[in-house]
Amino acid sequence: MTTVNNGYQDNNNNPAVAATKQPLPPAKSVDTQSVLKRLQSELMALMMSGDGGISAFPEEDNIFCWKGTINGSKDTVFEGTEYKLSLSFPTDYPFKPPKVKFETGCFHPNVDVYGNICLDILQDKWSSAYDVRTILLSIQSLLGEPNISSPLNTQAAALWSNQEEYRKMVMKLYKAV
Amino acid sequence: MENEEGLQADGESDPKAPIPVSEVDAWENIRDDDIMQQQSAIRAEEAEKVPFIGDKEPLSVLAAEYESGSPILLKKIKVLGEKYGSIRRTRGDGNCFFRGFMFSYLEHILESQDQAEVDRVTTNVEKCRETLQALGYADFTFEDFFALFLEQLESVVQGKETSISHDELVIRSRDQSISDYIVMFFRFVTSGEIKRRSEFFEPFILGMTNATATVEQFCKSSVEPMGEESDHVHITALSDALGVPIRVVYLDRSTYDIDHVIVNHHDFIPSAGHLPSAGGGSSETTKPIVTLLYRPGHYDILYLK
Repeated sequence: MTTVNNGYQDNNNNPAVAATKQPLPPAKSVDTQSVLKRLQSELMALMMSGDGGISAFPEEDNIFCWKGTINGSKDTVFEGTEYKLSLSFPTDYPFKPPKVKFETGCFHPNVDVYGNICLDILQDKWSSAYDVRTILLSIQSLLGEPNISSPLNTQAAALWSNQEEYRKMVMKLYKAV
Repeated sequence: MENEEGLQADGESDPKAPIPVSEVDAWENIRDDDIMQQQSAIRAEEAEKVPFIGDKEPLSVLAAEYESGSPILLKKIKVLGEKYGSIRRTRGDGNCFFRGFMFSYLEHILESQDQAEVDRVTTNVEKCRETLQALGYADFTFEDFFALFLEQLESVVQGKETSISHDELVIRSRDQSISDYIVMFFRFVTSGEIKRRSEFFEPFILGMTNATATVEQFCKSSVEPMGEESDHVHITALSDALGVPIRVVYLDRSTYDIDHVIVNHHDFIPSAGHLPSAGGGSSETTKPIVTLLYRPGHYDILYLK
């Protein structure tokens, strides 16, 4: 309330300045700085880590939006696949998790048709101890070890017990990146 | 931010309405985001009632709270009043133990100006940092939280440019960006200590959770995420890691004899190597630095008369 009033008064008192000045974002610049620093550290760590099968990089010049890839692990029905994901970080990261979605269609019990992922660490069990690397590794292991008891995709959950048929579905619906 | 989201979510009250059985499938369409938004709405509501750290109030406010309640509790509050004079409430958002500990500890340093204690705890904080590194945590995941805690610790020591007054400490403790950072610092310290001594903590963890949880899982799901409530295991670990003795006074309905109620407390005394140096430090002589009042599910700060 107070900030809205102040903004209004500013406009009245000094219209010349107000015309060119954009309203300030609610987040403090110090906080944004620390988010930027953290994301840059994560990027560095991810590039240095050399983990096979996962990668991620910020989109063009926006460090709050990343594109990532995950390869299906060996000896799972997802072997040989590569999925694209998007990660979008809130301004209060790492207190709140990034929104992570599959951009490539993924036939999986815990992924819905829009690519939304049901994974506790991306929701209520999120903590600042996670980072892009551990998120991607967690999703990678989720691929091979789905949580069948609370599926977003009931068809996939039902088929999971038949790994041979499941593999066929994965490959049928998979479009190489 | 939080408040705005909360209000919006609150406006759309439909999802909370009872859902007919035929529409049970609709639950699948309620995204976790919605649930999270609803949770933050509940917390925002709570936030309007109690700040992270409240004002110091006379203990009589506690009796007033239970005026028409359990006679056992009223008797216990009377017993409590023989020793303790005031209470400072904390917000019940699942982080109350950590927020209460933070304020009470920093207030103790501010009032005692005990430089030896500051040095001692600083040394222990460095050990915690090494513990996390040894456990494989990436530095960037915890370093900001450590830095902010050390900064607050530094600032309550008087006589420097950066020194702060008691009023300023209260203000900072109510500032979300500071308070949440310190809570996260404590969560990292607690988690690191539990994992470092997992063989010691494992039986307690098995005892309190669904016996299948490993120490690792417990830390990931019940220690590190914000808003997860603290129990004996958390308090023991934090007290040990920082070497700070904590007293928890229990206010609940348990009693053996209604005519002679006693108020139980438990002292969490850090293991020998971490103790405050002076006075030999046997468990009988170690005075708690932080005293918290526990009522089922919640911790507030308690002050001696």
